[in-house]
Amino acid sequence: ALELAQELAEELWGAGLPGDLPELEPECRSLLAAFAEGSAALTGCLGRRARPVRLCQGCHGHYRRLLAQYGSITRAVGNSSESHNCAKSILTSDRLQIVVTLSEFFNETWEAANCANCLKNNSEGLSNSTEEFLDLFNRSLICFEHNLQGQAIDLSPSNYTEVCKNCNETYTMLNDLYNHLQRMNRQGGESGHSAHLCIDVEDAMNITRKLWSRTFNCSLPCSDTVPVIAVSSFILFLPIVFYLSSFLHSKQKKRILILPKRIQSNASLVNIQEKYS
Amino acid sequence: MANVAKKVSWSGRDRDDDEDGRAGETTPLLNGTGPGAAGSARQLTPSSFLRIGQLSNVDLNEDIHELETELPRQRPNEIPHNEKLLSLKYESLDYDNSENQLFLEEERRINHAAFRTVEIKRWVICAMIGILTGLVACFIDIVVENLAGLKYRVVKDNIDKFTAKGGLSFSLLLWATLNASVVMVGSVIVAFIEPVAAGSGIPQIKCYLNGVKIPHVVRLKTLVIKVCGVILSVVGGLAVGKEGPMIHSGSVIAAGISQGRSTSLKRDFKIFEYFRRDTEKRDFVSAGAAAGVSAAFGAPVGGVLFSLEEGASFWNQFLTWRIFFASMISTFTLNSVLSVYHGNAWDLSSPGLINFGRFDSEKMEYTIQEIPIFIFMGVVGGILGALFNALNYWLTMFRIRYIHRPCLQVVEAMLVAAVTATVGFVMIYYSRDCQPIQGSSVAYPLQLFCADGEYNSMATAFFNTPEKSVVNLFHDPPGSYNPMTLGMFTLVYFFLACWTYGLTVSAGVFIPSLLIGAAWGRLFGISLSYLTKGSIWADPGKYALMGAAAQLGGIVRMTLSLTVIMMEATGNVTYGFPIMLVLMTAKIVGDYFVEGLYDMHIQLQSVPFLHWEAPVTSHSLTAREVMSTPVTCLRRIERVGTVVDILSDTSSNHNGFPVVESNPDTTQVAGLRGLILRSQLIVLLKHKVFVERANLNLVQRRLKLKDFRDAYPRFPPIQSIHVSQDERECMIDLSEFMNPSPYTVPQEASLPRVFKLFRALGLRHLVVVDNRNEVVGMVTRKDLARYRLGKEGLEELSLAQT
Repeated sequence: ALELAQELAEELWGAGLPGDLPELEPECRSLLAAFAEGSAALTGCLGRRARPVRLCQGCHGHYRRLLAQYGSITRAVGNSSESHNCAKSILTSDRLQIVVTLSEFFNETWEAANCANCLKNNSEGLSNSTEEFLDLFNRSLICFEHNLQGQAIDLSPSNYTEVCKNCNETYTMLNDLYNHLQRMNRQGGESGHSAHLCIDVEDAMNITRKLWSRTFNCSLPCSDTVPVIAVSSFILFLPIVFYLSSFLHSKQKKRILILPKRIQSNASLVNIQEKYS
Repeated sequence: MANVAKKVSWSGRDRDDDEDGRAGETTPLLNGTGPGAAGSARQLTPSSFLRIGQLSNVDLNEDIHELETELPRQRPNEIPHNEKLLSLKYESLDYDNSENQLFLEEERRINHAAFRTVEIKRWVICAMIGILTGLVACFIDIVVENLAGLKYRVVKDNIDKFTAKGGLSFSLLLWATLNASVVMVGSVIVAFIEPVAAGSGIPQIKCYLNGVKIPHVVRLKTLVIKVCGVILSVVGGLAVGKEGPMIHSGSVIAAGISQGRSTSLKRDFKIFEYFRRDTEKRDFVSAGAAAGVSAAFGAPVGGVLFSLEEGASFWNQFLTWRIFFASMISTFTLNSVLSVYHGNAWDLSSPGLINFGRFDSEKMEYTIQEIPIFIFMGVVGGILGALFNALNYWLTMFRIRYIHRPCLQVVEAMLVAAVTATVGFVMIYYSRDCQPIQGSSVAYPLQLFCADGEYNSMATAFFNTPEKSVVNLFHDPPGSYNPMTLGMFTLVYFFLACWTYGLTVSAGVFIPSLLIGAAWGRLFGISLSYLTKGSIWADPGKYALMGAAAQLGGIVRMTLSLTVIMMEATGNVTYGFPIMLVLMTAKIVGDYFVEGLYDMHIQLQSVPFLHWEAPVTSHSLTAREVMSTPVTCLRRIERVGTVVDILSDTSSNHNGFPVVESNPDTTQVAGLRGLILRSQLIVLLKHKVFVERANLNLVQRRLKLKDFRDAYPRFPPIQSIHVSQDERECMIDLSEFMNPSPYTVPQEASLPRVFKLFRALGLRHLVVVDNRNEVVGMVTRKDLARYRLGKEGLEELSLAQT
């Protein structure tokens, strides 16, 4: 691209046009190159860590660097003349504005993933609660793996009782911690984040829960159908009793007819009856 | 020969008859049983006209007595309540100004500038109505949100706890008991303190705007009970909404502010005294109703059109503009206060109590080929609405006949609340429809038997306030509900809502209707996309909206205002056309079976409601056959004793009395001179405006219009006014206070003509005179309202004491 621009510049020069050609200042060019490299690195990081989601843990450094690079572009002022600073020539001088688009894309992704939620306030590294959660998560995974290895010989799907029994404690702790984090997050909702936790934590929890209740079938709530049916049919039975008893025992409300004071009420009745026929 | 002016008592009847040569002929005529009456129905000789005029001045009490002794049915006739009755409890409002001398004097005194201040005051009042209605709506919304949130959290924690350990029947009991006890409080205050606050209040306001005075309907006490009752019944988990009652609340606020005082609190702020009469009050009440609609749905134009639709016979352009102003202020107040409450001030994102959410995304757009489908949905909505109304009709009839004691009503409401909770619980319990939790879109995700990280999707419909459920049905992404869940929900909720409407709690039917419709509409949309192999245009949210409109239209049968309300609530003008088509179809189909829910309830309450026009086949009826006769007349200068006797006569609770010329001794025919109201007479008696006292200079000052206004609207009963024996012999001069130019019609006027005059001018009394200007009869609201077009033709309703 650089060569092309130079070619173009030379062509224009040949055509006798003035010298201030659309060529970037060297400082600006280096800024742009840094941004391009940074975004390539971030893209690679995001792609590699898409499944299972580890975006926030792995890519926050890249993201922070990219932010800094973009910031230096917007702040940079070229030294040649006021009308040709880097920000203007890189960010706003064409229709496509690819640098802005890229930067917006990364910002939006970061926002949607809600990574700020599990990073420290200055975005350097994971927050303590997140560390704790991930630690617990790893422990549960290890526990699952450990217990599954023991019974890998018989592969009947319903036979996961061992896992359920042994890992119940870790799983419950993990689940409780997650719920706690969620509640904390909702209370501190005014800090600007939405009610979501960051995507890493959410995804980790989802995987564990799916394993636990779908694959291992560990969460079997005790169903007490009989008492529920008994209580509900009792309550549903009450209105029938009520309506029947009020129908049988309550005195029906009677209305007292008032005779209208009219002449020839017969005549008008006849009138009406005529219309009936 | 006796004349109209002569006041004849039963004891003096013989003499009267002696003087009159045709005594034998006339008595049966009065009763309507004699051959003369039936025979001479059409061709009355002048003498019999005269005779009627004569009888009109026979003391009424005696007259009824005579009637009863002569008729075979001597005992009061008792029948079970049915829909073909008119209750005596309801009276008309005086929309026609009494243009007596006092009024004319006052109007003459007010100059141009003063009229301008009156006009400014009107605007100020409208602004205050808007602001206060908006604030009341905010209050309801915030309290409901917090209390319901508390309740659902308690129940959810309980269910979560017992799901793990077992013993879910306790959670069921807890939920049912919580609901029942909250509803009990709500029902007790309504049943024992102010029964008129029951229901949505829209029928009552409709009646008020129609010109019927429903006792207590616009009192402050009613407002307080209404607001508390709505909060409690929504928190109690009944299948109800808080939108309908806002209309009633707005009306009460309007009536209260425009009077500048509260009789309940015994406070008079001495402002807005000019507006203390029915005409002005009605204008403000229509503004209040509009403000209520606007606050409920965030639909200011819909509110104006609602008032227009319900009270349009008394309408003018300036009033419309003022009402629009009140509406706008109301929704803006609600919006700004709720925005501040939700923490994003200046955002203005909650214009109504219910927000349908945004309907402007691309997949929500409709195409032309969908319109026949929408119309079909309208048909379904009409049929379901008619079914709803028919079921509710039977239920209401049963309630009026058998469940009329307040304690029974409270027990019924509690039972409904408990059953609603139970049914919801059972549905959730047996539902196997689990959906993954996505962020915080579900307010109270109930896991129950679902896998960890999932929630029971039946619970989003039942375990939530109905408003939220409606919005969820509109906006949840496709696939959030499986068809089985929706089908069961529609079925159950339909019967619950039908059972709930008409309980002695204050609650509206808008939201339950929308919810039923949204549920089956969504189901319809889902099945459509199955049929078309998942075409993109079949977004279930759009069909949920159309279903909601169809169902609501099928139940309440409002047309213009409902279209605009729905359009404004969705915030999408392009939906106007399909919504209009859907509502039209629903109304046409529904009207084929039964009438709308509100009209049905008005009829069941035996309210003398005047429809737009007289029944179509009533042209052959004339004023003669419609009017009540004989009429209790007063002479221009009347003995106080007679006035007191007439007023305290319990059997004839008349409110307007024609005033006739007062020369007792002449045999000349005396014509109609004016009309005086009971309220005016009572004020006169209270201030003892007697001729003798005036002559003795005992009267301190002349009575002014202010004295009548101060007594408005609760005039003391006649029993509270003491008139001594001496004073009974005094005379009272009515000529200054009566309305000297009452509206009259000749006897030959047809019923539609009388009806038109009565309805268009909002009259309360219409005097029927003969060609000599003698009073022959009186047409009141009940005389006109009793003719109704039934299934087989014209029917006549009977009057009853209720």
